[in-house]
Amino acid sequence: MQRYLLSRVLQSALLMVGVLILVFFIVRLTGDPASLMMPRDASPEDVEEFREAMGFNDPLHEQFFSYLKNAAVGDFGRSLHYRSAAMPLVLERFPATLQLAASALTFALIFAIPLGIIGGTRPGTMWDTLCRGIGLIGQTVPNFWLALMLIVLFSVQLGWFPSFGRDSLRSVILPTVALGFFPLGKFTRLVRASVLEIKNEDYIRTANSKGIPERRILIHHIFRNVAITLVSIIGVQFGYMLGGSIYIESIFAWPGIGRMINEAVQARDYPLVQAIAVFSAGFVVILNLMTDVAYALIDPRIRYED
Amino acid sequence: MLRIRLTGLAIAVLLVVSAGIVVAGGQAETPEDATKTLRVAVPTFPNSLDASIASERNSQNVAWQMFDSLVWANDENVIEPALAEDWEVSEDGTEYTFYLREGVEFHNGEPFNAEAVVYSWERGIQPEIEWSDRWARADSVEAIDEYTVRITTEEPDPLLLGVMAQHWNIVPPQYLEEVGNDGFGESPVGTGPFEFVEWAREDRIILRANEDYWREGLPKVDEVIYRPIPEASTRMAAIQTGEIDIVNRLTAEQADALEDVDGVNVVTYAVDRTFYIAFNNLTSGVDEPTEDVRVRRAMNYAVDRQAIIDSLFGGRAQLATGLMTESNLGYDQSLDPYPYDPERARELLADAGYPDGFEMDFAAPAGAYTNFEQVAQAVQGYLSEVGIETSLDIMESGRYWDLEAEKQLPPLFGDSWSERSGEALPRLRGALGGWDASFSAWSEPTIDEYLDEISVTIDQEERAELYTELHNYMYENPPFIYLYVPETFEATRDNVVDYRPRAAEDYFLMFTDIQ
Repeated sequence: MQRYLLSRVLQSALLMVGVLILVFFIVRLTGDPASLMMPRDASPEDVEEFREAMGFNDPLHEQFFSYLKNAAVGDFGRSLHYRSAAMPLVLERFPATLQLAASALTFALIFAIPLGIIGGTRPGTMWDTLCRGIGLIGQTVPNFWLALMLIVLFSVQLGWFPSFGRDSLRSVILPTVALGFFPLGKFTRLVRASVLEIKNEDYIRTANSKGIPERRILIHHIFRNVAITLVSIIGVQFGYMLGGSIYIESIFAWPGIGRMINEAVQARDYPLVQAIAVFSAGFVVILNLMTDVAYALIDPRIRYED
Repeated sequence: MLRIRLTGLAIAVLLVVSAGIVVAGGQAETPEDATKTLRVAVPTFPNSLDASIASERNSQNVAWQMFDSLVWANDENVIEPALAEDWEVSEDGTEYTFYLREGVEFHNGEPFNAEAVVYSWERGIQPEIEWSDRWARADSVEAIDEYTVRITTEEPDPLLLGVMAQHWNIVPPQYLEEVGNDGFGESPVGTGPFEFVEWAREDRIILRANEDYWREGLPKVDEVIYRPIPEASTRMAAIQTGEIDIVNRLTAEQADALEDVDGVNVVTYAVDRTFYIAFNNLTSGVDEPTEDVRVRRAMNYAVDRQAIIDSLFGGRAQLATGLMTESNLGYDQSLDPYPYDPERARELLADAGYPDGFEMDFAAPAGAYTNFEQVAQAVQGYLSEVGIETSLDIMESGRYWDLEAEKQLPPLFGDSWSERSGEALPRLRGALGGWDASFSAWSEPTIDEYLDEISVTIDQEERAELYTELHNYMYENPPFIYLYVPETFEATRDNVVDYRPRAAEDYFLMFTDIQ
């Protein structure tokens, strides 16, 4: 177990170094921020002076090494657009993004688990059709469209929920549904498929033949195994949701990281884009690491194989 | 059994933690009481609340509610006294003496005086200030006594007062020394009609009325809350539900839809921005047919701009007759836009020696302006009808502007230019300044002469005449295919009175009231 853990931590660290390198060079492929940041009627000399002052004229390798050196101590420089340290800007907005992703995930699980179990244990019934329908809709409806429809229906027409912002508990509801609908569909299908598969395993037949009550088999034998699959995918899905929230946060004016990504990219705010990319990547890497560890704890097969 | 517990535990912990985050994340409702609160949605997130650093229009609009300059440009763009009660200009036009208003205090109680003006200028010209070039129009700023300031310029600068009104936010020296530029941008202090209360990043900015404001009886409301809402559809929803009192940057379709909504008023006006297809006589356009003025005129006749406006903007834009707009000083109302006349275009092309047309490269930015990709395609189609075959390259806008600044775009390229000073000079200089201007691909001695003269003519009427002459010259000798002046669409709740946005999309909320 310790060896497994150690190797996973090392792999994650290596991955982060790769991310740092990639982010630096990809951001620089997008072009020169000077022309976007200076007023249009600025003279070519002014633009050149600005470039020099901001260090864009230094050789790329020099820029790269100072970036690595500073990144190692968590300093990603000053945001060109917001004129303050980049990483604190990201951290300031992270709670809102985390809140939205967590509530969307909770929403998805609360509905997906019962739906999937019902569908899996009673294939072909009306319940199963409902379960498959939700799975299909969840995975095919684009979340930005759903978000706009929710606003039109529940804010403008019915007036039940605020159309934007993060003011009260009620303002969490619509973005949660919009962001959680895709994982809801995905989880429902996953749970249903796992239940169907596990139901036909030998050990379930054995349990049945021993006369163990149906409910006990469902909880102790089937759901336990479904949960293993679920745990492994929740981590990955959580990472996806941080990315998917770019649209959702913009539509609902949710004060999180997703909206800032948009701004930062458009303004070619290198330091801020770098800080966001490295932070998000780091978060996903840690999430995956935690998932792996949890998975290994839950399922001994994983750590023996390694 | 341990495994069961662990699995169960893992899921239970996840659910509890998630639920905890959900609950903890909810913030308290905004208190609602009898105060008059104006809620304004803005499409972008201010990068700073310091007017000298706020980088774009919406940030500027938020910031300027808290500041004053020495002078103020009223809705007709006439310069009026503000923190300066009066001023004199020396005969050669390079020396201004300002007599400051006495008894004015900053929101934190610091006195406003000549020292504050000198300090503000010395800070303003520092390179880390976004608008330092606007402050640097003055060569020196000196205090003569506590309430008198002398400002000198190297040459007569007719735009100085306008630029001061737009960009010179007077700041309190002591407070700024304490908090630095960064701290000031997060929590600014000015002398303006509203004072800063709170900025929850990306969420809201709260300002409250300055009770001791030197303009008697202003501001009208007690509190202003700015909410950034980047998505236009959401802004439209928020004005319908009444969660917001003023929204801007709506689309024409949204404005149409809102016309029928109870409780909402649509506000429409032409902005000070012109769209055009530019020619190039500096790099890629050298020795091309477009160096001949007859060809350039032919191309203006060849494009049915009204049809473009009707089909792509629902008729809601105005035909451009030049690089100036109606709100600019010296705009010649008598000029009619080039009519759509392909016959005339073909004649002119034949005159110029291109009876069968010619081929040319053409570029336009993607995603930068409403429907501009389609506008470029329509222009391409119209040009093709008179024999000018273009190959159109629609590029990502960031890369496009890089190339434009390097003068590396094809000989035909589309763009637009906005101006906020009320005069067309900065835009004309920027777009036609030749090698001295980053985004210019055109240079012409006659135009240069006009611009040089305008930039040192202090007298407003004389300057207006020069603009009018230049407007006519550029109409006859077009360095662009003139396209259109767009309108902008905003909406207010119907209890909002005296919301008076101007052509540069700026506004002063001190006059605005809620009934």
